[in-house]
Amino acid sequence: MKITLTVNDAAYPLDVEPRRVLADALRDDCGLTGTHLGCEQGVCGACTVLVDGEAVRSCLMLAVQCDGVPIRTVEGLAGPGGEPHPLQRAFSAERGLQCGFCTPGFLMLAAGALDHDPRLGDEEVADLVRSNLCRCTGYEPIRRAITRAARDHQNGQEGRHRSV
Amino acid sequence: MVDRWLRREDERLLTGAGRFVADLRVDGRLDAVFVRSEVAHGVLREVDCSAARETPGVAGAWSAADLPGLPPMPGGEPAREWPALVEDRVRYPGEALAVVLGDDRYHAEDGAARVRTRIDPLPAVVTARDAAADSVALFDGLSNVALRGEAGSPIAGEVWERAAVVVESRYRQQLLMPSPMECRTILCVPEGDRLTVWSGHQAPHRLRSELAALLDRPEESVRVVVPDTGGAFGSKSAVFPEFIVVAWLAVRLGRPVRWVEDRRESLLVATRGRGQDQHVRLAADADGRLLAYELTVEADVGAYPHLGVAFPMQTAWMATGPYTTPLVHATVRSVLTNTMITYPYRGAGRPEATSPLERTMDVLARRLDLDPAELRRRNLIPPELFPYRTPTGRTYDSGDHPAALDLALRTLGYDGWRAEQARRRADPAALPVGIGLSCYVERSGGERGSLHDYVGVEAGEDGTVVARCGAASSGQSHSTVFPALVAETLGVEPARVRLIEGDTDELPGGVGSFGSRSAQIDGAGLQHAAGLLIEEARERAARMWDLPVEETAWSEGAVHPVRGTAAMGLSELVKRTGPLRIDERYEADMAFPFGTHAAVVEVDPDLGTVRVLRLVAVDDCGRALDPAVVRGQAFGSIVQGLGQALYEGVPFGDDGVPLLANGLLDYLLPTYAEIPPIDLRETRTPTPRTPLGAKGAGESGCIGTPPAIVNAVADALRLDHPERLQMPLTPDVVWRAAA
Ligand code: FES
Ligand code: FES
Repeated sequence: MKITLTVNDAAYPLDVEPRRVLADALRDDCGLTGTHLGCEQGVCGACTVLVDGEAVRSCLMLAVQCDGVPIRTVEGLAGPGGEPHPLQRAFSAERGLQCGFCTPGFLMLAAGALDHDPRLGDEEVADLVRSNLCRCTGYEPIRRAITRAARDHQNGQEGRHRSV
Repeated sequence: MVDRWLRREDERLLTGAGRFVADLRVDGRLDAVFVRSEVAHGVLREVDCSAARETPGVAGAWSAADLPGLPPMPGGEPAREWPALVEDRVRYPGEALAVVLGDDRYHAEDGAARVRTRIDPLPAVVTARDAAADSVALFDGLSNVALRGEAGSPIAGEVWERAAVVVESRYRQQLLMPSPMECRTILCVPEGDRLTVWSGHQAPHRLRSELAALLDRPEESVRVVVPDTGGAFGSKSAVFPEFIVVAWLAVRLGRPVRWVEDRRESLLVATRGRGQDQHVRLAADADGRLLAYELTVEADVGAYPHLGVAFPMQTAWMATGPYTTPLVHATVRSVLTNTMITYPYRGAGRPEATSPLERTMDVLARRLDLDPAELRRRNLIPPELFPYRTPTGRTYDSGDHPAALDLALRTLGYDGWRAEQARRRADPAALPVGIGLSCYVERSGGERGSLHDYVGVEAGEDGTVVARCGAASSGQSHSTVFPALVAETLGVEPARVRLIEGDTDELPGGVGSFGSRSAQIDGAGLQHAAGLLIEEARERAARMWDLPVEETAWSEGAVHPVRGTAAMGLSELVKRTGPLRIDERYEADMAFPFGTHAAVVEVDPDLGTVRVLRLVAVDDCGRALDPAVVRGQAFGSIVQGLGQALYEGVPFGDDGVPLLANGLLDYLLPTYAEIPPIDLRETRTPTPRTPLGAKGAGESGCIGTPPAIVNAVADALRLDHPERLQMPLTPDVVWRAAA
């Protein structure tokens, strides 16, 4: 099937089999290998990307379901000038990653949540961290990272609002 | 401005620019998919790949019969050979019957689905105890027992008879899946006479020599490169049957071939850890002084003899633990079972040594009506006795065990929790709480024959420094930590130093990263090599300046005459005197990290649920190269230990097939929902065995935490029969124990 994936604002015209899952299309057809596969059964969340702003497990979605829908992956997380997203900064600062394999999934999950509501509370952050698997960090550093990013994000936005 | 990224690894891993094996693009690459046995044990009657070969997108399909000359797994016994593809007998579930190569994984799987196989099932044995009976033989005419060993000397009967108390118990150290988030990977790219192998692996040089030997080609013709690796925990340190098939086909076809294991396969055929049935006897006098300890291990080592058959000896050698017990005897029997092989998993032999001893210490305390902390205090090896030679043949380098215990008790607020426990015991409506302790000592660095590594430090004309070592990181921050260490030794800015590792073309040899050895051995080696580079720089400068070497000195990355101010930096020195590179094979002795973990749990006896209220871990790994990295390792390791204590395990059906059909919905890795408040504390007792003083870190949680949690549950339930509590402590297990 001929479809166009719109990933991080770039168009990727593809000819894919209907059975092809989104994760494989992103990784192999678009060459965006930042999205990882840890279980291919919807449990680990390493493959999480934003489809139309919603966090989805890209191992459970078909590429053809995403024709023409905006998709955001970890490669599109940094700002247009390449400045890191508050989450990227915070994950580094809080040591929210070791091997980094699960990281893109946590980043995109949290990015989607922050876009919806920059004022993430402790419970919401905990819910996010509970959604995905990490075998290295023990999660607490990931929780701290998302909390810190939410704070920075808010400060950044308020800062911007003030300066307007 | 402060650096935006705390670790050098962070930028690429946080922006999607990391490169794991599955991310590498190579033209013309084929994907391998294996057809696997659905039975645990049986006679293979037929494998027919013809329909698979006709499948669109399939480049080829082969059974063992189609690949004469395919080498078997190395390190086994001729009489009990482990073929890379099953020849006539299936011995573990998931064993590979055929391989299909496709232009992508979808097509290869299409082909695999069309391979026809027929197996006549045989009865299967999945525990060491069952297999040792030899009623089902994995190899006709041969016993299932693959190895017997012992540490220490047998203990005379009168010792047990005369002791005031003898505690006897049985424990099961269940099979665990290491479960790195990235499963195993290999990509073999043949080019001319060279074969480049990309693999997420812990021991690239060993993989190179094994593959070269298997393929019967010179070692130099194989290059192994380890790119970003998504965790390993021991599970990526060997060569595997699938690796042999992939490398063999890549060479034979002259095309790049890749195998990226998926989670389903991994749960079936990745190496597993632990897997021991244990029996213990512990004797003490009326004051609680330990007199004798006996540990009998029946180890389940999987379906074929292999390197891991001897690993349970680690448990025997470490059986003494941190106590002054004068008589200790440990025996091991490694038994073949119808399971994929057991192999080191984070802790590898030391969790299996710590758990039975620490659990039995708590039972002993109860029998003697002694506080478990006090019982331990009376028996811990005092600091002045180091180096301490144990009855099981280890010589512990250094330690202050009582200090670790005291710090753990203080951090936990031990007396406060005991008061709370008493309060709840007096209140019939309150859920019971229990407090569990676990004092451990472990071994890091390696065993004889693997206590060295290759290291190098090279100064460039541009003022940069390249450090090289035989280690391979799978999340341990080597690219950050090792350059910082070399920079500190040389007195230069860390930004000027970079690390190259995980590439067999870069060093003449290497051992790798396992057994908590990288900081201890490679770290000490890099510090040593940097020191040699300074000496060489001084000698060169002395010649240039026509001074005796003693008249030169080194500071802040530059050599200068002792008298006078003229200094010459590394870049200038290299420009004037030529390339400056030190390569060393560095060797040191093993070391013994130690500590105390403590847990507080609340148990609901009616539901069998366990809530961990608090965990405290006091670990001592000597000098920590980067304390924050060490804490990250400790924390993650504790969570894996929590997984063993409460959630993880491999249940089997009667047919010997693991009941893990629903993948990670059946094999329960801890999530954030399960993480209790965890306090980390450190004591610091450097190892005298290297000038650096670092001992291994990162396995402590898997070693110290599980018995602390189990002891806490037993304490909450006031159990006299600890055998009823066997890990994982699922609600079912706890409910039955409480009943
Ligand atoms: S790979 Fe999609 S949830 Fe694990
Ligand atoms: S950082 Fe390795 S799995 Fe999360």
